[in-house]
Amino acid sequence: MARPHIEPYVELDAPYKKFDIAGFKGSHYKVLSLDVDSGACTLKVRFDGGYKRKPGLSYSDMEIFVLNGIIKVGKETWREGHYAFIPAGMHIGAISVGRGAEALVMFNDSEPSYYESDRNHQLALTDAFKSFNSYVDAPWGPGNLVSPSVATGVGIKVLHYDVLTQAITFLYYMSPEFMQNNISYHDCAEESYHIWGTSWMMQFGDLPTGGYFWRPPYIDHGAFRSKLGCIAFGRTDSKLHNYFHFNPWSTPDENKLRAAAHLYRQRPQLYDWVASEGHNHPHGPPDHEHPHYHDDAQVRHLHGRAPAAERHQAPPRKRKRRR
Amino acid sequence: MAQRVQDKKPKRNKAARAWLEENIAEQKKRYQAIVDEQEALWPKRRKWYREFLKIIQTRGFNVDGDLLRKIPKAELPKEPKRKHRVVW
Repeated sequence: MARPHIEPYVELDAPYKKFDIAGFKGSHYKVLSLDVDSGACTLKVRFDGGYKRKPGLSYSDMEIFVLNGIIKVGKETWREGHYAFIPAGMHIGAISVGRGAEALVMFNDSEPSYYESDRNHQLALTDAFKSFNSYVDAPWGPGNLVSPSVATGVGIKVLHYDVLTQAITFLYYMSPEFMQNNISYHDCAEESYHIWGTSWMMQFGDLPTGGYFWRPPYIDHGAFRSKLGCIAFGRTDSKLHNYFHFNPWSTPDENKLRAAAHLYRQRPQLYDWVASEGHNHPHGPPDHEHPHYHDDAQVRHLHGRAPAAERHQAPPRKRKRRR
Repeated sequence: MAQRVQDKKPKRNKAARAWLEENIAEQKKRYQAIVDEQEALWPKRRKWYREFLKIIQTRGFNVDGDLLRKIPKAELPKEPKRKHRVVW
């Protein structure tokens, strides 16, 4: 079942646990979310003063975001705001922490793993490696990264972009008095950790500093507010598309059908090939926001159906099965 | 098919299996606590929904970015009789 819906979860009051897995001894962790099948997880890790580890690699893609403190990794020094994407099989240098540090540590493919090594695995896709300070070395951009977009008052820094899945890792802020009056959902899972500040969503209430969510696809969230502003670390697991609507009672299944209806309207050939094949909602799935969209002229045109006036005269066209 | 490093991962050892089991069990409890907490929020949420449906009729619904559309009363959704959930 992958990761369950964890929203909202405020981790600040939860105690750290001793990390007793090879490569992590001398650190403590809290699980923010965990894939019960693969073991992929997002952790908040506290590296105690004096923590040391030899060079090594993981068999999972890893992402790290330093929340506070200083971590020495090989020849690099990672401070507050540092972000790193470490592809599976790529070795990183020895780690040492002088006075303690906290970081978000994400294993994207499997449970935490570490194998001592001073070289890369032969299959490691090392070109994907990234390591930079996101606070200092990445510019803020407007929130309208995708369309339909969020309202003015959201800024985004893209930290990592997967060209195949279009999954993104990013920092975002909401400005003071931010307001967006719509309900949103996505085809992708979405994750966020509030580094500082509080935002509010109509379903879940306040998400304060230390607030976290892992939200599977098609789950309603919003309207949105932030009284004093906030800054957060976010990720998606695939392409982010904002489906906005105003029905607070819609379910993920209804939202999924509505998303499929978008596909039916906007990418008709793909829809026909992937989903329809003449038997599965041949006139498009239900859309709770636009229940009669099937009769829209453009939609009918895209799907090779006659305009309403002609429909009553001509017999319906038989759809050929594509092979 | 291209080979991936992830496919070469050594089998989970006993410590990793124990770590997973322990944390999956804790996550189940955490999930249930969130569900309970969110159920208890229902009276406030009902009020928030009412305010939202009012705001989109007066100030407007954010269609895309700052583009607003005032929603006529006739278009407003009606609360269904089924049990409402926000955590899935």
